[in-house]
Amino acid sequence: MKNRFRNLANYALNCIKRYKVRTLVIIVSLSIAAFIFASVSFMKEGLVREGELSLKYAPDLTVQGMFAGRQSLINTSYIYYIQKTLGVKAVEERIWGYGNIGNTLLVIVGIDLDNPVVNPASAYPLVSGSFLDSQENNSVVIGKAVADLTGARVGSWLAILTESNQVRQYKVRGVFSSESSIYNADMILMSENDARLFFGIPEGKVTDLLVYTEDVNKAYYVTQLNFVAREISELPNVRVLTKDILLKAQETTYGARSGFFSITWFTVLVSAAIVAFNQTVVVGHESKFEVGLLKALGFSTSDIIQVRLIESLILGVLAGSIGIASGIFFDTVLGAPVFRDFLLGWAVLYPAFSVPVHISLQTVLITYAITIVPLLFATVVPSWLNATVDPDLAMRGARA
Amino acid sequence: MIETVNLKKIYNQGKRFQVEAVIDANVVAENGEITVFVGPSGCGKTTLMSMVGQLLTPTKGRILIDNEDITSYSDGWKAVFRRENVGFIFQHINLLPNLNALENVMIPLMSHNVNPDEFRDPALQLLEVLGLAERAYFGVEQLSGGQQQRVAVARALITKPNIIIADEPLTFVDKESAKAITDYFGKLRDDGKTMLISSHVSNLTELADKTYLMKNGRIDESSAG
Repeated sequence: MKNRFRNLANYALNCIKRYKVRTLVIIVSLSIAAFIFASVSFMKEGLVREGELSLKYAPDLTVQGMFAGRQSLINTSYIYYIQKTLGVKAVEERIWGYGNIGNTLLVIVGIDLDNPVVNPASAYPLVSGSFLDSQENNSVVIGKAVADLTGARVGSWLAILTESNQVRQYKVRGVFSSESSIYNADMILMSENDARLFFGIPEGKVTDLLVYTEDVNKAYYVTQLNFVAREISELPNVRVLTKDILLKAQETTYGARSGFFSITWFTVLVSAAIVAFNQTVVVGHESKFEVGLLKALGFSTSDIIQVRLIESLILGVLAGSIGIASGIFFDTVLGAPVFRDFLLGWAVLYPAFSVPVHISLQTVLITYAITIVPLLFATVVPSWLNATVDPDLAMRGARA
Repeated sequence: MIETVNLKKIYNQGKRFQVEAVIDANVVAENGEITVFVGPSGCGKTTLMSMVGQLLTPTKGRILIDNEDITSYSDGWKAVFRRENVGFIFQHINLLPNLNALENVMIPLMSHNVNPDEFRDPALQLLEVLGLAERAYFGVEQLSGGQQQRVAVARALITKPNIIIADEPLTFVDKESAKAITDYFGKLRDDGKTMLISSHVSNLTELADKTYLMKNGRIDESSAG
């Protein structure tokens, strides 16, 4: 049987070489579909993964103040009530917002340096310099992207523009990197007091309160979290965001941007339609005749299905591989021009970052499925249908 | 021995354009003999030969090969029967385009559990015997109709079948090729092959051990020798 399979495989290869135009149409259309799908998927997955990483050190709950249905500053007096809630381990104040350096908008975060719940050295590992000192005012630690963007180094001074158009000078004490380059790399960290002065936030108010819950068994974590969130929600003029909600918000952002993703699917469907049209209309008669002839020459229905299966698999895998390889090259080496602007949106604000790419086995397999399955349907099914009629009728029908 | 019993084929049965192509055909073709079917175009020769070769399912009747009824064979067994026993030569030649002559000859081997490389020399020898040694690596599009039909003859014989079914093998063939093919058919008979040949003219009847005249789907008369 080994020889027989080898012969059928050789015949399938021969078909690929023989029908050059058909082969070219299939490979080009499916490769393009696979390329677009793979490129966008790798980027989307990269962004979602970055989002997950950015939340690695995030609090279990974030409590924000609400006023007239909009987010507002929150009173620090809430800390007392939240702290008393069963299941709450710690509550931390946070002040954050945006500041301009040149024309670039960057995230400024004030950290409570005296009582940090999460060790800043873990959340923001330094690549150079040292971390903030609560005794030293007007100093910052900056993300690597900020350093690249501004050219600032440890020891240099950074001028940041406030919303009231005042320029404030800060000394760079350190530069940190992050596993999550997109979400954290454009951050400027300063003491809570410096941040309060920068944003003009009065004493007794902060941007939000970070709530950390007690360490419990994983099975009880969600129950505890829901309980604490519900209890805090009972307080007036607050809203509670869980880690999950933040992650979902990130996913939704890219899911929605991936309206572009819908375009991808549309492209894939168009490619599949081209392939199907190519198979059934352009080479349909030729294929029908060939099936009839092969059966007359001794091929069985299963032989013919095997030939078409091998042919489709070779073409599908080839097109898929070309598409995936192009997608990886396009995303990682070329930085995904055009696609990146569609998918990320903030490229204008933050033009220097590299596109986060995550190549998962799942996406690779789906891409191969996209190139192989339409081909199987467009090739194997008609061949099987042709092979089930008498060879004489198949040949006559094709000739008619 | 090949025998058909009350063989019948109706196309489009029960439909508006129903055609009775073969009606109650009773035919006997002895092993090692040439049986020729003669008749005008559309008289049912091709349909009859296709049914014998298991390319077409009869509407009614039986086909016996060495007294074994093969009519009710499954699709898979029909393929095995064709693969192991029959070589076809078609009126329309039916070579695959974009392949050369030798590759076309080798196609039937692709469904066999053999190493085709071992059949390369026999295939070249067949082409040589049929006068195509120098055309073995020519694409079929570069061959004349007669040369193509000789390639088709070689293709039918590469698997060394016992039964050869040739449907109007000389229709699109020049005189030189016709002679080469006719001579070779005689040689095949000498080798003990059973041959069924159809022709709308009687130029092959000289070869025949038995001739059937067909008319309007029926066997009109038969003659020996």
